[in-house]
Parts: sequence; C-alpha cells; structure tokens
Amino acid sequence: MTHRLIKGYRIMSSSPGLTVLNWLFGIFVHVPTFFYYRIKFRDFKKQTLTANPIFIQKLARDYDARARYFGQEINERKKQTFINKEYKKAVSDIHVPDVMTRYSLFFENQLSKRSFLFLTFIPGILLYLLFFIYHQGLVRFVVERLVATGFVIVSVIIIVFSLLYFSPQDPAQNILGEQATQLQRDNFNRTHGLDQSYIAQLTDRLHGFITFDLGSTFAGNEDVLQNIENRFPVTLAIAFSSLALAVMIAIPIGMISAIYVRSFWDYSFMFLALIGLSIPSFWQGLIFILTFAIELDWLPSTYTPGNIASLIMPVVVLGTGLSATIARMTRSEILEVMHEDYMMTAKAKGLSKQRMFTRHALPNAWIPILTVIGLQFGAMLGGASVTEKVFNIKGLGSYIVDKQFIPDIPAILAGVVYMAIMISVVNLVVDLLYALLNPRLRAELNDG
Amino acid sequence: MSTEKIKGHDRYKHSQFAFTLSTLFSLFFLYLTASNGAMTYMILFIAFSIHSAIQGLLLKRLTVEGLRYDDYTMFTRALITIQMFSLLTGNIFTATCAFRLRQAEETMSYTFITYIFVADLLLVSLTALNIFKPFVTNTFLIVLIGQIILTIIDMWLIHYLRRDLSTRAHATRKAQGLAIFFILTAATGNVLRLLLSYHLYIHYIQSDASRRNRSGVFWQKITRSFTSMLGLLFIVVIFSLSWTSTLTFVERFAVENNYQALLLEPSLVHPFGTDNFGRDVYSRVVKGGVISLSIGLLTTIIPMLIGGTLGAISGYFHPLVDQTIMRVLDALYAIPGILLAIAIIAAFGSNTTNLIIALSIGAIPMFARTMRASVLTIKQLDYIKASVAIGESDWKILFKHIVPNALAPMIVRGTLAIGTAVIATSSLSFLGIGVEPHVPEWGNVLRVGSSYLETEPYLAIFPGLAIILLVLSFNFLGDGIRDALDPKMD
Repeated sequence: MTHRLIKGYRIMSSSPGLTVLNWLFGIFVHVPTFFYYRIKFRDFKKQTLTANPIFIQKLARDYDARARYFGQEINERKKQTFINKEYKKAVSDIHVPDVMTRYSLFFENQLSKRSFLFLTFIPGILLYLLFFIYHQGLVRFVVERLVATGFVIVSVIIIVFSLLYFSPQDPAQNILGEQATQLQRDNFNRTHGLDQSYIAQLTDRLHGFITFDLGSTFAGNEDVLQNIENRFPVTLAIAFSSLALAVMIAIPIGMISAIYVRSFWDYSFMFLALIGLSIPSFWQGLIFILTFAIELDWLPSTYTPGNIASLIMPVVVLGTGLSATIARMTRSEILEVMHEDYMMTAKAKGLSKQRMFTRHALPNAWIPILTVIGLQFGAMLGGASVTEKVFNIKGLGSYIVDKQFIPDIPAILAGVVYMAIMISVVNLVVDLLYALLNPRLRAELNDG
Repeated sequence: MSTEKIKGHDRYKHSQFAFTLSTLFSLFFLYLTASNGAMTYMILFIAFSIHSAIQGLLLKRLTVEGLRYDDYTMFTRALITIQMFSLLTGNIFTATCAFRLRQAEETMSYTFITYIFVADLLLVSLTALNIFKPFVTNTFLIVLIGQIILTIIDMWLIHYLRRDLSTRAHATRKAQGLAIFFILTAATGNVLRLLLSYHLYIHYIQSDASRRNRSGVFWQKITRSFTSMLGLLFIVVIFSLSWTSTLTFVERFAVENNYQALLLEPSLVHPFGTDNFGRDVYSRVVKGGVISLSIGLLTTIIPMLIGGTLGAISGYFHPLVDQTIMRVLDALYAIPGILLAIAIIAAFGSNTTNLIIALSIGAIPMFARTMRASVLTIKQLDYIKASVAIGESDWKILFKHIVPNALAPMIVRGTLAIGTAVIATSSLSFLGIGVEPHVPEWGNVLRVGSSYLETEPYLAIFPGLAIILLVLSFNFLGDGIRDALDPKMD
C-alpha cells in the first residue's frame, strides 16, 4: 500500500503541473509536514554545527605537532585559519541522512510510516486518492480522460452561453412582438432571469446542468429537459445505426481496396467513396425521397415514430459521409502498415498472404481507424440536424434549428451541450478502448 | 515494354478511367432515354457508346503497342485523332485522354494548354446557351466572340506546344511572349492560364535550377494525375463562367420575378427550368457559383491563417502556452462545426458575414492541430537547432524557418476543407440560416427547388449536381495535392 503511494507521489512531483496539483490537494498535509521538516532540519544542523570543543582542541594539538615537526614557530592567526578549514571539512564530511537533504525525500520517508498516514488520513484523503490514481499509468490515463471530458463539457456550456448572452438579438421582443410595452418586456426578462448579470446567469446555467434543471423555453414555456428527453432517443438511434452501418460497409470496402490496391475494384471503390464525401446530405436525402418514396413508393418519405422502415433512409443518408471517410482511412492505414518492416519479416518467415494480413496488418491498422471513427462521429452529428430537417424527424438536431430563430437560449444551449456530451462520451470510449486494447500504449502507461 | 508495366502506367490508367466513365455515362443516358424518351438523351447515348467502343479498342491497342506515340500504327493514331473530337459531344474524359496520348513526350505546358482549351470550349458553349434567351446583355456578343477567338488560339497553341518549347529556337523569348499572353488572357477567369504562365516562367525564363526542380516535381505529379487535372478543370470552368457572368448573363433573369414563366420545364431557353418566381435556374446557378466558391475559399483561408498561427505558436513555445491554447481549442472541437455555426448565427443573426465567421471559427481547431503537429516535428530538426545557435529570435525562427516547411499538410487539409465548407454553406442556406434568401447561392436555389420535389424535381437536382461537381473537384484536387506533397508516396 505505502509503496504505491510513494510511487504516485514520485510521479506527481515529476512535472510542474502535477506538483501544483499535489500541493493544492495536499495543502493540509504538506504545510504542517513542511514546517516539521524545516524544524527537524534546523535541529539537525544545529547539532552538527555547534562548536565541538574536544574536536577543536584536537585540531589545535595537530597544528602544534605539525609546526614542531617542520620546525616552524607557532603563528596564532595561521593556527586559527587551519582550525577553521579543517573543522569545515570535517563537518561537511559528516554523514547527513538522505532523508534530511530534501523535502521530497523526507515526505516519502514519512509516507512509509503507518503512524504518519494514520495521523494525516482525514486531511490528506484527497491527496492519497490522487497518489493512488497516479501510481498506475492506466488508472491515471482513464481518470485524466474523464476529467478532460468534464472540462470540455463545462467549456462548451461556457462558450455557447457566452455566444448567446452577447447576442444583439432580443428574445423578449422576438416573442412578445413589436407592440409589447417596456413593462411586459421587463417582466419577461425577469421571469427568465435575463435581467441578471453574466456571471449570475452562467452559474445558474452550470448549476442547472448538474442538477438536470434546464429551465423552460422562452416560447411556449415548455420544460427543456422534457423536450430533450423526447427528442434525444431518435437522434441517438439514428446516429448509432448510421455509425454501425458505416462501420459494417466501410471497413470491408477499405480492406478490399487495400488488399487489391491499384486494381479496378480499388479505383471504383475509392471513386465511390469520394463521391460519397462530396454529396451534400440534404440533397442526397431529397434524391432518396424522390426515388424511393415518390417514384418507387418503397419507403415512407417522412419519419413516423415506431416505424422502422421510415428510419432506413435517414440512417443511410447520415451514414454515407461517415462510410466514405472510414473507407478511405481504412485503406490508407492498412497500406501504411503493409509497408512496415515487420511485414517484410512476416513475408520472409514465409507466412501466407492471408495470415500476414489477419495476424499482422489488421491488428496494427485498426487502432488509427478507431480514432478516426471517434473523430468523425462528431462531424456526423453536426450533419444530423440537416438530415433530421429533410426527413422531418423531431430529433435533437432539428430542435436546435427550430429554436435558433428566437434565439431560445435554454433550448439551444441544452441541445448543443447534449450533442457535445454525446460526442465527448463516444470519444472517451474510443480513447479508453484504445488504451485498453493497444498493447504498446498499455505497456507504456504501465511503465510510466 | 511488358504488358504489366504498360498497365501500371499513368497513361494506360487514364485511358481505362476514360473508358469506364464514358461507359457509365452512356448507360446513364440509356436509362434517361428509356425513362424519358427525349431525343437529346438518345443522341448522347449513341455518341457516348461510340466513344466508349473506340476507347475500348484503344485500350486493347495500347497493351500491344506500348505508350509512346511514335510507336503507334497508323490505325491507332487515327483512333486517337477521332477520339479528340469526342469533346464536341461533351465527353471530356475520352477527349482529354486522347489529347494526352497524342503527345510524344509528356511536357507540362502541353498538358496545361489542353486543359485550358477544354475549359475555354466548355466556357464558350455554356455561355452560348444564352443565345436562346429573349434578349442578351450588350456585352454578350463581344465577350463571346472574344472567347471563341481565344479558344481558336488555344487550338493552335496545342499544336505549337506539342513539341517541347526548349527544342525551338529563341525559346526564352517565345516563352516570355507566351507567359505575358497567358497572364493577360487570364482575365477570362481561366486560372489555368496563370498556372501555365507561372510554369513557363519557372521552366524557360528564370535560370535558378533548384527552383525549377522543386516546382517541377510538384507540378509534374499534379499534371500527370488526371483526376486532379479534371478537378482543376471543373473548378476553373465554374469559376470563370461565374466570373464572366456579369458581362454575359442578364442579371434580371436570375433575381427578378417573372410571372409569365413560372415553373417551366427545362428547355433551351431555360436549361434548368424556372422556379416558382419565374427565375431562370440556370442563370441562378451560374451567378451563384462565385458566391459558393468565394464563401468556401474564405471559410477555409481565414481559419487556416488563425488556426495556423495558433498551432504554430502552441507547437513552438513553452508547454504552458501550448496547453492553454490547445485546451481552449479542444472545447471548440467538441462542438460539431455546423452546430457551432448554428449557435453563432442564432446569436448574431443570419447573413453572409456571420455565416463566414461562424464556419471559420468551427474550422480553427482542425487547422491548429495540423499545424502544431508539423511544427512539433520540424522543431527537432538540425537546421532549427542551427538557427537557435546563431541566435535568431524565436519569432523569426518560427515564421521564417519552421512555418514555411510545415505548410504542406496545411495545404492538403485546406484543399480538402474547401469542399466541406461548400457543403456546410449550402446546408445552412438550405436550412434557411445561411446566406440571405434572395441571393442565388446554391443552397438557396436548392431550397426553393426542394418544395417542388414531387412535380418539378429538376429544380432541386441541377443545383445539387453543381454542388457535387464543385466539391468533388476540390476533393480530387486535394487528393492529387496530397499525393504530390506526401513524401511517403515515393
């Protein structure tokens, strides 16, 4: 137990940022311990530095003996300098225990004592938790990513809120109309808290997000949380179905293209992928509606809750751009891996092409692909608002678009933040998967 | 030369690409003939199938006869000459391929001039469609005749530049004359002309061999990649058509309501039909080209400059600066570009300036990350250590030695980002929160068309095709530039 804490402490002392954190969290432990250390250090120095009369007498005798031997007369001044010099030398030669030389070592020494831990357990609980987190690379990585995600979400709230706060538009006028009196407007502003200061409103919003109280919309006075709850599942379903579809289609295509590189299929697939990347999703949606709903009458043109068939077109449209990117990335990553030295070794060993591919190329190539999927997921969710509008889906994306004209601050803020949360969570999962499944990173984290 | 080697060569691949696309288009026209029964599609189908057949034959001959024009039999040469005329039916793929095969030695100037010619021909024919309108602008005829004359000069220059310019007498003087001519005629909006004159300057006029080599390697790769040249061609055509449209297209047809011509079918007078206000959709698409293109360019260049500077600073200076900048950008990165744009437009109102600002801010983190990554690598190189040892200031090292060498990934990113920016712009306009609704931006044109999807689908199809063509062109070009700048490809 104690050696883990010591390891955590050492890691935390190694970088300036972490040192600050270390002192901040451990202020109640570090400050008393530091004073204790200074006192002990001074005592120790005092002990050694107080003139030791026996030793000085011995030095004086030494000098006398030497002078006699060389036949010199005894010079009192020279004698004094000799004594001083020798004395200093001797003092510096005195063994100072390592523990006493630096505070960090002293603290480490204290950490290894159970009595110290017991004494400082209550004020130092946060600090010891921190040490425990940092003592192992993987735990540290996970916790740091979690904290970073939290930080990003808070920053998103601040950014979007600030944008809307400093907007020159007046929601009161937009909702109440031109003929509203000043009194009505003030009343509106008061009920929605718009008359408060920037800081007050911001803390209110942040507090609201933590307690799941998102306020009510300006227009219609609906509960925003209720709205989001109603609309979130559809967006979630479409987004993840598109992601699954894209992964299912694009990864095999990318693999085929990489295996048969520069073949007819490679060129055709990559050409198709490039077209998929170039089609605006709203146009693709319109063309799909035109062909599959209007002309062929196979699928419903707009979404109705509970009808799976009406989800097919939106999912395909939303997944197109993502599939194109993933297919291109898969191809280029596998090609890059194929040119690595270890592939040459595998070939020299006489492995079959199939085995080379499944055993060596794929496991190394899929890691960057995973990262790209995580990053592209965000771009896809942005596109969701357009696709939802085209297919008339009452999802989160279309909610934001509908509310932006007023601008309905609580609704837009909540919508954008929930989207950002979804993206951050997906990226978090990707990063954690990356850390857990990538042997190289795992080894690095555990060593560090 | 072995068959394997021939099949791996650019020229053979170009022919194959032309064959595949030509066949695909002929099948597409066959489908249109079957579903529509229109005579035009029938003719196009026949023409494209003939081109595909000849192209197929040509492919067979190439595998036997190799890739050098001098080795070809009379029959193959005749096929190539016939194939050149496929340009007249609009088959750019087989035509550009034939122009390429006709060449004995591949020179960049020849490649440029052929694409300039094709671009001019497309420009002339797309402009000439205005003849069928009830009236034209005063300058229409003069400009059109000028463009036709230029196209004819191009034709002669193709013949002239087929032989490498340096083999001719007084090459430098001729190159100077040509370079000046191309700069002057670039006023038509044909940016390829500027590229050609730059190329002439680098390769025939100035005498610095290292500059010649450096630009030569890059442009050779670009000119040999037919997909990026095609991309460049379409971008140039869209841009120059839109650029000259103030002189050749009547503004009234594009923006003013005409209640005598509501929702007309596509015809020669209105090639893309008319919308619910009687505005000519073709004129609108042409006029909108320059708007979509410039918004796309601006929303790429602005974040490239800001993000590039931030990325360079955070990559070069102390980790504390780095962490501060990158964490702030991370927060920005967590909001999808379009959502951030919607939020900004919600706050500050929907107009073109706000749209550009909104889309630019969303793209800053991506460029900053790219720049930071390359600065971090370059910072470790020996020549930077040398400049530090000399005692140059940090800012000078950063912006004089590091940034110019870190630009390649930024340029690749940027070219690919233009396409995304064009899509984002039209998406926002489509939602009604982008460019002002009366401006003929492509997203706006499409939005009007989308409400008549059941009865007049062409109103939405044609502007959409224009967007795809532009974005696809930028993606093709971006891929080509990436391949040309990426040392890993060698």
